[in-house]
Amino acid sequence: MHQYFKHMDPLGKELKDKVRTRTRENLEALRQAEEEIQAARKTVENFGLSAEKINSRGQLTIWQRLEILLDADSWRPLHMLYNPAENDACTTNVVDGLARINGRWAVVIGFDNKYLAGAWVPGQPENILRVTDLAKRLHVPLIWVVNCSGVKLPEQEKFYAGRRCSGTTFFRHAELEQMGIPILAGIYGTNPAGGGYQGISPTLLFAHKNCNIAVGGAGIVSGMSPKGFFDTESARDLIDAGKTHRAQAPGGVEIHHDQTGFFRFVFEQEEDVLYAMRDYMTRLPAYDPDFFRVDAPKPPAFPSEDLYHLLPLNPKRTYVLEEVLARLVDGSEHMEYRPDDGFEVYTGLVKIDGLLFGCIGNRQGILPNGYPEYADYPGIGGKLYRRGLIKMNEFVTLCGRDRLPIIWLQDTSGIDVGNAAEKAELLGLGQSLVYSIQQTDVPMLLVMLRKGSAAAHYILGGPTANRHNAFTLGTAATEIYVMYGETAAVATYTRRLIKDQEAGKPLDPTVEKMNELVEKYHETSRPLFCARTGLVDEIVDLGAIRGYLQAFAGAVYQNPGSICPHHHLMLPRIIRG
Amino acid sequence: MAEEIKAPLAGKVISLSVKVGDTIEEDDEIMILEALKMETSVYASADGTVREIKVRPGDSVEEDDLLLVLE
Repeated sequence: MHQYFKHMDPLGKELKDKVRTRTRENLEALRQAEEEIQAARKTVENFGLSAEKINSRGQLTIWQRLEILLDADSWRPLHMLYNPAENDACTTNVVDGLARINGRWAVVIGFDNKYLAGAWVPGQPENILRVTDLAKRLHVPLIWVVNCSGVKLPEQEKFYAGRRCSGTTFFRHAELEQMGIPILAGIYGTNPAGGGYQGISPTLLFAHKNCNIAVGGAGIVSGMSPKGFFDTESARDLIDAGKTHRAQAPGGVEIHHDQTGFFRFVFEQEEDVLYAMRDYMTRLPAYDPDFFRVDAPKPPAFPSEDLYHLLPLNPKRTYVLEEVLARLVDGSEHMEYRPDDGFEVYTGLVKIDGLLFGCIGNRQGILPNGYPEYADYPGIGGKLYRRGLIKMNEFVTLCGRDRLPIIWLQDTSGIDVGNAAEKAELLGLGQSLVYSIQQTDVPMLLVMLRKGSAAAHYILGGPTANRHNAFTLGTAATEIYVMYGETAAVATYTRRLIKDQEAGKPLDPTVEKMNELVEKYHETSRPLFCARTGLVDEIVDLGAIRGYLQAFAGAVYQNPGSICPHHHLMLPRIIRG
Repeated sequence: MAEEIKAPLAGKVISLSVKVGDTIEEDDEIMILEALKMETSVYASADGTVREIKVRPGDSVEEDDLLLVLE
C-alpha cells in the first residue's frame, strides 16, 4: 500500500510576501488575543502558595513533579482555564493533559498542592471526569500524581454527592481497569477520606515515605464525639485530641506498605517516586508507532507561522481551508474524498507523524454556481447543505470501517434553513450524521478553528454530540453560540418592537435590551469563556495545534482496541478509484 | 489581451486589494465582497496588470457584473 501514501497529493501553496503584508494586522490581532489567554493560564499556574514556600516544607510543587515525570517538550496541557463552578480560586485544583513518559503517551493528572494541599473543590469532579473519559477514549494509561487533602469542607454540598460527583472518579477508575487500561499513582502528603480513595483506587501505587492514605484523617479521628454543639470546654478537648492524632496521622507507609501492602513501592525521596513511575511505563502495553505508520513522519511543507496570516480573526472573513490544513499535516499532502461533490466540506486522508487520519472541515467562501442543487439561491461555505451532509455521513462511516481516527476542523454558521432545505431532508441528514458518528467507534479530535453555531456545532464532531470526541481545542479566534448575537436579538425582540410601536411607546428601552443581548452573546462566546465553561478543553496558540495533533496521533495509535491492516484499507482505494 | 473579472454573486464591495497599474498574479486577492453575511475574497483568474477597476467600496453588484479588467 506504500504507493498510496508515499506521495499523496500536494496541499496548499507558499504564502506570498504581499499576502503577509496585507494580513499583518490579522497576525498582530491574533497574537494579542493569544497573549491574553497565555496570561490567564499563567495566573492559574501560579495560583496558591509559592514554589519557595512548598519547597521549604520539603515538598515539590505539582509543576516541579511534572517536570521530572514527563518527557521534555511532550506536555500538552488541557483544562488549564476550566472553572465550571466559577470558583473564586480560578481553578479546579487539578492539572491535566497529554504527555509522553519515558517514550509512552499517557493521560496525566495531578492535584495542585499549592492550594489547600490539593483539596477537592467545586467543578473538580467534572474536570476529572473529562480526564478519565480521555484515557478511556484514547486507551492509554492514566497517570495520577496524588496529593489530596480531601473535601474543601465549607463547600462540600456542591460536589461531594450526586451523579457526577467526586466519588464518580473511583468508579471511573474501576471502569478503566475493567477495560484493561492501567492507572499508576504517585502518592505524596496527607490523603485522608476522599484523598484516601484518590490514593487507593488506581492500579499501582508508588508512595513517598511521608505520605499516608486513610478512610479518615486526623481531623475526623480527633473530632468523632461532638455534643451536637461547641463550647469552650469541648474546644479544649478538641485541642488535646488533635495534638495526639496529628502526631500519629493514620494510614502511613508503616501500615500501607509494611502491613496491608497497598503501596507496591515506597521511596525516600520525592523525585524517586517519579523516576520509578517513568521506569514502569516501559512495562505497560504499547505498540511501536512503526507498526501503524503508512509513511515516515515529516513536518508540513509550510511554516505554522503562516496560520496567523491565513485564519482571519474577523468571523465574517472567508479563507481557504486547504491552506490551513497544509500547515498542520505531514508534508502538506492529502488524498481528498469526493472532491467533486459536497463542496462546502472537505473530507480526506492526511498523515500526522506518518500515521493515517480521516479529516473533515468546513470550507469557506462562495460555492460553485448551481450549488446547492435543491435551491435557487447561492451557497456559501461554513453552512451545510444536502450533498455535504451525505458526503460526511459516508466518510465517517468508512473511517470507522478502516479504523481511522478522525480530526474535525470546525468553522460553521449552521445548516441551511427554509422550506427548500427541509424538502432536501437536511433535518434528517443532520441527525443521520449524529447516528453515523455514534456508530463509528474511533477516537475523534475537534479543533474549533473559529465559529461553532446552531445544530451544525453538534454534528461536526462536537463534544456534546459525540461520545467519541477525545478532546476539543479552541483558538484565539474561536466563538461558540447558538446563533449570532444580532440574530438572537432580532429573534427575541422584534415582536416587542412591533408592540411598542403600535402602543406608541418609545423604542429606545427595547433597542437597549437588544444591544445588551448582543453584548452578552459576545462575552459568552469568546475563547476565555469557552475554556472556563468547558465548551472546549483548551485554547491553544495556532502554532501549537500541530503539537496537539501529534500527541493525539501518538496516543490513539499507541494501543488501539482494534486494527485494520493497511492492505485492507478501503478509503484510499475508493479515493483513487 | 484583456481579462475581465466578474462578480461571482450579488453583494457589496467592502474593499479593494489592488489599484490600477498593479501587477498581479493568478489567485491574488483583488477585492472583498460582502455576500450572504460573509466577507468573501475575489481572486484574479489570470496574471496581468490592472487596467481598470469598475467598482468602488460600498457599491452593490449583481452576479456577473464586471469588477475589474486585467491586461
